[in-house]
Order: sequence, then structure tokens, then C-alpha cells
Amino acid sequence: MSKKAALLSDFHWLMDVLQFIDVGLVIIDRNYEVQLWNAFMQNHSAKEPDEILGKNLFQCFPELPEAWFKRKTESVFTLHNSAFTTWEQRPWLFRFPSYRPITSIADTMYQNTTMIPLKDTGGKVDHLCIIIYDVTEAAVNRLQNEAANAELKRLSRTDGLTGLLNRKAWESELLKELERCTRYNHASSLVMFDIDHFKSINDGHGHPAGDEVIRQTAAIAQKCIRTVDTAGRYGGEEFAIILPDTDADGALKLANRIRKTIENTAAVYEGTEISYTVSLGVCAYHKKLKDSTQWIDCADKGLYQAKENGRNKAFIHFPS
Amino acid sequence: MQNQLEADSAIFQINEDYRDCLQEISNVAMGQAGDKLARLLGAFVELSIPHIEIMTPSDIVMALHSIDANESVSGVCQGFIGGGISGEAMLLFNDTSFQDLANILRYEGDVDQQAERELLMDTTNVLFGACLNGIAEQIDMEFSFGPPMVLGQHLSVRELFQLDKARWNHALVTEISYSIEGFNINCDLLIVMTEGSLELLFKKLDYLLN
Repeated sequence: MSKKAALLSDFHWLMDVLQFIDVGLVIIDRNYEVQLWNAFMQNHSAKEPDEILGKNLFQCFPELPEAWFKRKTESVFTLHNSAFTTWEQRPWLFRFPSYRPITSIADTMYQNTTMIPLKDTGGKVDHLCIIIYDVTEAAVNRLQNEAANAELKRLSRTDGLTGLLNRKAWESELLKELERCTRYNHASSLVMFDIDHFKSINDGHGHPAGDEVIRQTAAIAQKCIRTVDTAGRYGGEEFAIILPDTDADGALKLANRIRKTIENTAAVYEGTEISYTVSLGVCAYHKKLKDSTQWIDCADKGLYQAKENGRNKAFIHFPS
Repeated sequence: MQNQLEADSAIFQINEDYRDCLQEISNVAMGQAGDKLARLLGAFVELSIPHIEIMTPSDIVMALHSIDANESVSGVCQGFIGGGISGEAMLLFNDTSFQDLANILRYEGDVDQQAERELLMDTTNVLFGACLNGIAEQIDMEFSFGPPMVLGQHLSVRELFQLDKARWNHALVTEISYSIEGFNINCDLLIVMTEGSLELLFKKLDYLLN
């Protein structure tokens, strides 16, 4: 083989590699006209080179975010540095279907891209190469992982029966609220309440009926409070609510609204109506309160007073 | 055990000639990067003198912590490798920088977490490439770069760099801070080279020094 033939054959191999390598290769010039479009790009876009070559990239692919894309490419043209984009910025640059249309849970191909400046023989950069990587597998795994973690976190904070925060999560919210109060000295109140004679509901109607009463109580409390308030299931039939920016009088109003709503709404279990009441205690933040236990304790004393005064009542207790 | 200690102390002692030479190389490379950043931003970029040290993972966290203690930061890293030298470049932004950075880059709309990610990546693209290529050129090498990765956003330095489980003992760290005149923009750039890179790197420096 002559030297020229050998060179030609080397060149041919290289071109084959560029054509068939399983990453997308696109070369564009300063006018964003496409100069190279390899097999990966052809096959995933279903556009043949003769439909694309010499044409403006944005006209061929209107879904390309032009301003965003140019911000990246212009810095490559002027500064001669490579630029990278990842699927976290934009899931895809070219909207290609997933490589595994049957078994993948992603519809579109997630893409990372690298843009590299191409120097001509004089060192001038009038072209750049865009390399498109299919990162669907990694992206989908990451997203699933994050979703699972978020769900686990949610479950670990939620009480299964009522959907309210569980005791641990609620207490950590109370700690945060106490910190805010101590630092900024703004108003905030705590309501503790429980279901009157809950044991006799359980004894008389059975535990599933008791569960229904607890569920309904939580639902009513949740409906009565604002979105900034935080309700939790503190114990078996005991509930607690944090009311930011609310003084004792405001909290007492809310407590009475919950009390009256529950008094007027019988729980229904398998066709049987169960009327019941709750007793509530209120304590507003005061700088005398040294920790969250004292705060809970104080609201609990209000609850105690309500019980001693015949139940179905709400009482404010002041920290001593 | 004795051998291990000796090996450690050999690594710890980066001689002053090497340090000076690295400082010079870094100065040139980071200056080039700063110049490119200035051209992108159309503003004057100030840089500190490169700080060069052999560090353990906890040294790095402590050094960064002393700069950004109690502050919320965001960071990006990018791996590089070539001819037996490898490491990572890291960029650390103080979260108070983003609004000014967005203004100076003429980003429209709210600077939400997504916009901050874009700003991080854009700055990374400019600084890392220029810096690492600048270093590579001077020691007559070429590096390949992995895709940059956002380490985290709005975290403390300790949360961002969870190096307590690091599988390495020592690395050569070049640290420099960039700030922009007239704006509240501060970032730290770190180039961390692996212990395994040092023998070859020092050989390259010998060549430059002689």
C-alpha cells in the first residue's frame, strides 16, 4: 500500500469512528449553521444530514432555548474555553426519545453536553463541537433516589393514623419555634388538647371506632388552623398545635372554634353516630419559659383546668 | 509504621523552590482565568496570591471554614486527569454573591435555585477551563475534564465538603480567592492534586527550575 493510500485509510477509519461512536457530535459555525451531524444525531432526531447540514440549528430545532444556548456558546467562541451543561440545568438540549422506549421509565433522553472550541490552522475559533451524552440512566436513578428519600423523610415525620406530624417531628418544630421566640421575642402560642372520656368510647364502640374519632378530631383541627400553624399527634388521644404570631386570646379563640366544631360534629363509625367533646389548654410564649418541656407543661395545666371544670372547655394558663 | 511516617514526612515537606515555582505557575494560570472572567463580566477582577499547601482532608475543610465560617455557600467541582496528574478543581461561592453575579451577567428574572445553578456552572466553565489549561500548558501537559458537578447549594462548608470519609490522606492544594471590584461577589477556587500526582509534578517543576 502506498503512503497516500495508508493515510487515506487511516482517515477513513477516523471518520467511521466519528460517525458511529455512540455519543452525539455536532459541529456548528459562528452563524449556528450545522457542519457535522453524526449517526447518533441522525438516528435519534430522525433527520438526515442533508436536511440539517448548512442549515441554522435553531430553525431545525425550535425547542432549543436560543438565548440560553448562545450564552454558553458565545463564551466558548470568545474565550476559547470548553463549556459544560448538565441535565440538572436542563434535562435535554435536543428532545430525543429515550434510548429504551419499552422498558425505560423516562420518555426523553437526559443529556449532558460539552462544547469545545475548534481552532483552525491559524488558531482562530470559528467552529465549535457540541458533544451530547446520553445520561438517562444516571439521571433517572438519581431522581428516583431523591424521590424515595423525600418520601422516607415524610413518612418518618408523619403519624400514620391521622396524617398529622408525629410526636418527634412536632417536638422538633416546637424547638424551632421556641428558638425564634427567644431570639425575636414575638408572640406565639401553644394549644394542647385531648378527647374527653376517650376510654369509654373505646370500651363502648370498640377500638376501630376510637380510631375513627381520633382521625376525625385530627381532620377538624387541621381544618380550623392556618397554613402557618403546626398540628401534631402528641400521644394516643392527645394533640398539640403551634400557633406562630398568635397571643393567648387569639389562641383561645381558635381553641374554642375547634371545641365547638367537634361538639357539633358526631363521628360516624359503621352507621353509628358517636358524639364526643374535647378539652383544651392554651399557653402563650413568655420569656419565663426556659425550654419546650415547660411550655408543653404550662399548656397541659390549662388542659387540666378544663378537665376539672367539667370538660368540653378551653383554658389559658400563664407561666409561673 | 516507621516507613509510613517517613513517607508522610517526605510528602509534608514541599520545598520552597517547588512552592515558589507552583505559585508562579498558579499566578499565571489564575491570572489568565481572571482575565477571561473579567472579559465575560466586563468588570475588574481582583485575585489573591495563591496559597499553596499540602493538606489533609480535614485541613481543607478547616481552611475553608475559616474563610466562610457560619456563612451559607454553594460549590461546584470538576475532575481533571492527564499524563499521570489528576485532581479536582473546586469553586466555592458565598451565597450573598448571587444577586450581584446575576446583575453583572444580565440574568433576567428571579435568582432562584435554578438560576443560581446556571450562574455556578457558567462561572465554573470559564474559570476552571482557563485555570487548568493554563497550568497544563506551563508544565507541558494536556488534561481531560469530567463534567462539572454541583456539590451542593446553600450549605455550610462542613456540609458541602463531607471529606470525613475521604479515601486519601494528603493532597496538594492551591487556593485563591477572586472578588470583583465594586460588587459583592466572592469566590474561592481550589485546585486539589492527588498525592499520586506529586512525584510527576515535582519532576516537571525540576525541569522548569533547571
